[in-house]
Amino acid sequence: MSIDKEYLQIEREKEWRAELRKKMANKDRTALNRTKMPEMDPYVRIQFQNKEVNIGLTEEQARQEASRCLDCPTPTCMEGCPVSINIPKFVKYIDAGDYLGAAKTLKETSALPAVCGRVCPQEKQCEANCFYTQKLKKDAVAIGYLERFAADYERESGLMSVPEVAPANGIKIAAIGSGPSSLSFAGDMIKRGYDVTVFEALHEIGGVLKYGIPEFRLPNKIVDVELENLQKMGVKFVKNFIVGKTSSFEDLKAEGFEAFFVASGAGLPRFMNIPGENYNGILSSNEYLTRVNLMNAANDEFDTPVIKGKNVAVIGGGNTAMDSVRTAKRLGAERAMIIYRRSRAEMPARVEEVHHAEEEGIEFINLANPVEYFADEKGKVNAVRIQRMGLGEPDASGRRSPVVIEGSEYDIPVDLVVVAVGVSPNPLIPSEVKDLKVSRWGTIEVNEDTMQSSIPELFAGGDIVRGGATVILAMGDGRKAAANMDEYLKSKHS
Amino acid sequence: MANISTRFFGLDLKSPVIAASSSMTGHAEQVIKLAEAGAGAIVLKSIFEEEIYHELQEELSLRSKINSDPEYLDYFDYVIKEDTLRKYLLLIADVKAKTTVPVVASVNCVSSNDWMLFARKVEEAGADAIELNMFICPSDVTKTEVNNEQFYFETIQKVLQVVKIPVSIKISHYFSNLAGIVNRLSKTGIAGITIFNRFYSPDIDVNTLTVVSSDVLSSSGDYLLPLKWTGILSGQISCDLAATTGIHTSETAIKFILAGASAIQVASVVYNEGASAITRLNQDIAAWMDQKGFQTLADCKGALSQTSAASQAWERSQFMKYFGEKAF
Amino acid sequence: MNQIVDKVLFSEKVAKFVVHAPRIARSRKPGHFVILRVDEKGERIPLTIAGADPEQGTIVLVVQRMGVSSSKLFELNIGDHILDVVGPLGKATHIYNAGTILACGGGVGVAPMLPIVEGFKKAGNRVISILAARNKDLIILEDEIRKWSDEVIIMTDDGSYGTKGVVTVGAEMVIQRETINECIAIGPAVMMKFTSLLTQKYQIPTQASLNAIMVDGTGMCGACRVSVGGRTMFTCIDGPEFDAHQIDFNELIMRLGGYSAEEKLAYERYML
Repeated sequence: MSIDKEYLQIEREKEWRAELRKKMANKDRTALNRTKMPEMDPYVRIQFQNKEVNIGLTEEQARQEASRCLDCPTPTCMEGCPVSINIPKFVKYIDAGDYLGAAKTLKETSALPAVCGRVCPQEKQCEANCFYTQKLKKDAVAIGYLERFAADYERESGLMSVPEVAPANGIKIAAIGSGPSSLSFAGDMIKRGYDVTVFEALHEIGGVLKYGIPEFRLPNKIVDVELENLQKMGVKFVKNFIVGKTSSFEDLKAEGFEAFFVASGAGLPRFMNIPGENYNGILSSNEYLTRVNLMNAANDEFDTPVIKGKNVAVIGGGNTAMDSVRTAKRLGAERAMIIYRRSRAEMPARVEEVHHAEEEGIEFINLANPVEYFADEKGKVNAVRIQRMGLGEPDASGRRSPVVIEGSEYDIPVDLVVVAVGVSPNPLIPSEVKDLKVSRWGTIEVNEDTMQSSIPELFAGGDIVRGGATVILAMGDGRKAAANMDEYLKSKHS
Repeated sequence: MANISTRFFGLDLKSPVIAASSSMTGHAEQVIKLAEAGAGAIVLKSIFEEEIYHELQEELSLRSKINSDPEYLDYFDYVIKEDTLRKYLLLIADVKAKTTVPVVASVNCVSSNDWMLFARKVEEAGADAIELNMFICPSDVTKTEVNNEQFYFETIQKVLQVVKIPVSIKISHYFSNLAGIVNRLSKTGIAGITIFNRFYSPDIDVNTLTVVSSDVLSSSGDYLLPLKWTGILSGQISCDLAATTGIHTSETAIKFILAGASAIQVASVVYNEGASAITRLNQDIAAWMDQKGFQTLADCKGALSQTSAASQAWERSQFMKYFGEKAF
Repeated sequence: MNQIVDKVLFSEKVAKFVVHAPRIARSRKPGHFVILRVDEKGERIPLTIAGADPEQGTIVLVVQRMGVSSSKLFELNIGDHILDVVGPLGKATHIYNAGTILACGGGVGVAPMLPIVEGFKKAGNRVISILAARNKDLIILEDEIRKWSDEVIIMTDDGSYGTKGVVTVGAEMVIQRETINECIAIGPAVMMKFTSLLTQKYQIPTQASLNAIMVDGTGMCGACRVSVGGRTMFTCIDGPEFDAHQIDFNELIMRLGGYSAEEKLAYERYML
């Protein structure tokens, strides 16, 4: 996203910001240590599926942390943000004690600040580009914690700001899928005055935010508040509607929809296709997390069942694997194991998540890969055969390749296995729409700059374009698509 | 009209001329053409595990640009493997639906677990038999002959454990005691052995100063090596033997039958002349048998092998002594 | 939305519902199913669409009460709303003029079979339908099936209606007396397995409509995965119909029992 340097400068020169800078000398600011996020005690938190591990900063902590920010003339932090949040502005609002102002600033560019503040890998994005990290070689300003603080403060105060919306222009557009990409797109388009309808296949809005990310990282209630905000702005949500099945694109065009943003996500689960993988008790991470997060299966009052294993193995090393294994722990697993074929250092999961998982007693079995599953006479899994792995030459992505160590097999008793080795793009829309250019692996091909597909009125973003990626990248795509669809429709109507 | 039916791959075949694994046997339409031309069996294009590795590297460099999330690419090799396997299984199912000619799946793997997985899957998809394409070029200076040989026996044992359809192997000639090892391999429970797998050879271009690949297709002189060993081994081992490489004419094909081969596998001649080459080979073999008064293949198979009465010449034709004796 | 417009009891265990779902009614083809959730705490369950009236904007669902979810649905009455209904899901049946079709329906499997039988009859085929169940009470939709069949054979395990015997007995009798070009088998997994083994013997192409466990029904979770010809397929997006001779029925039956312990407990709690 391009950053308007002039606008940034104007904002930075405003009196209140200049005053704030004078209030404290830079050397005093840099002398402060980065605030530690208060966390729930591991032994307590593993008993609750829906209590957040990170408790959130207090006002005092937030103001102190915000004061560390030097309000750089060239905010390099913003270069790391896929949605170009005006970071110095919102951080300085917190420094000044105007938390609602901070929240309003966030909402100028991000539709879901409470979500991003919790799930973004800031350590790879804004915080990696912070002046502290780059030049001072010290801990970055805790931008993520502050974003969460501002969003939470606003929500809890009951004084949620509703961003300004341009007068309705009467042009009907649709977003397919209600995950972060669509929500971000919808937020931008409704501000521009469009008539926006978001179609969702499931019975709950939010996509991966609801079914994928567990409540102990991102409570569903928080997602609901952000959704309510969008509804207040005028976005329409339709549940239980699968575009391409319930009605086709042609049907919707006949009903007046002029353009579409496809963000149907990467919800197709991947398996390893090894012998025994279809035994009972072996689930994809999607199935496991959907049962627990979306269908509340862990709660006996809800009808959907879930297997509560005592010896649980989760295959994989990403955030989804962490979410799955920590959920299993919370559901009563005595052994909750991660089985990953590379080393700890190469695990793609956020360092914070791995750290939390360790504290919660998750066992990490690295340099190990399953090759076969065994079951009892009823077909219920009871053991997984592991093969030890070594690390060989780096592959084309720079990470060392796992190398099989022949003859090193051994068995681990398990009663539940969750396969979290990645997801693939949802095949529905690519298969339903002719003339839509799709890659060999099922992702919709788009122009990188405009997010427009091979069909002019169809734009796409998020995991359906990237394969599986992060929430914030999906949101960035949504914003880009919104800006470009706006151009496209304006020129169509001129 | 002579009966040219035979038995190889553990199956009864209507002809001893088999369409070998090659790029031509990777597409259903071409496979059907070969079946209709009279091939006794068709070996589908091999799945190569190494190919999957290379595809993965390509995909990783492509995807790394637009997707900065390593979680998506972490197990991507499984995605490529599954896609490759899926297409292969569909090919098997497609071909099986359109012809009754036996369809043999050909597999080449690196790790033993993958051999077993692929073998199981091709059986489930309906393949009539499996050929383990054992393509180990002994160019690793650190390995011993024991390492290499062990691999063959372990792999065969593992695959035999997981499938019921007959298992055959195709090997190269790089063994220190070829006769000994072929004999031992023939006792493992496999249905057949095909000699010999041909390695692509590098060549040098002295003008551009580069290493290039030499001709991919076989030349007609290439048949002499497998012919020699067919003659030596066919009567002495416990399973059926087939030969491949350089079989371009019906005369050559007949030589192999006389040497004791139950079948021959052809690729280059089909590549050059089309599927009709198979029809021609079948016709010519039958005509020759009629001329010589052989009613079935069994009547003439191995008539001139080493174990037949007439053939001390097999060994004699190789010894220095022979050349020493003859005056120039 | 999703209001129940009509309810008819076929027996004390089987009921037919007509539900208002205009978009689904318009887009639906034979073979499609819906996923529904009765209330906030309910499970998502699949049910094949047994019929539809695009003009009225209604679809027909047939339910047999077996566990918690099917019982909750069974208990609803005219005027009630089903909280969530999404569809049409799955791949539509491939209907074409094959010649003579043998349709075998086991128990409540006759409901999804009805639109398929209708489709094949309309495409110009000769249709022979076999309805099979444990006893007379469980034979459903006989008149509706008769309307679209050239011949209807009824088999009951106990002989209380029609001929005594299992479906394969009736099927084999038909196969031996005339040429069958295609067979459809829908019903309990065991019934489809044995019907498939029978038709495989006679090399009759057969489609079976599978009833795997589902959670989302849109291809997201893999709970409904089934092995077909060595490949793993998802019943909800690649099916629900597959080439019966390639289906690993033993694996399907094993997977259907995956939550039987939890289901039993839940049902006991529900009945208290």
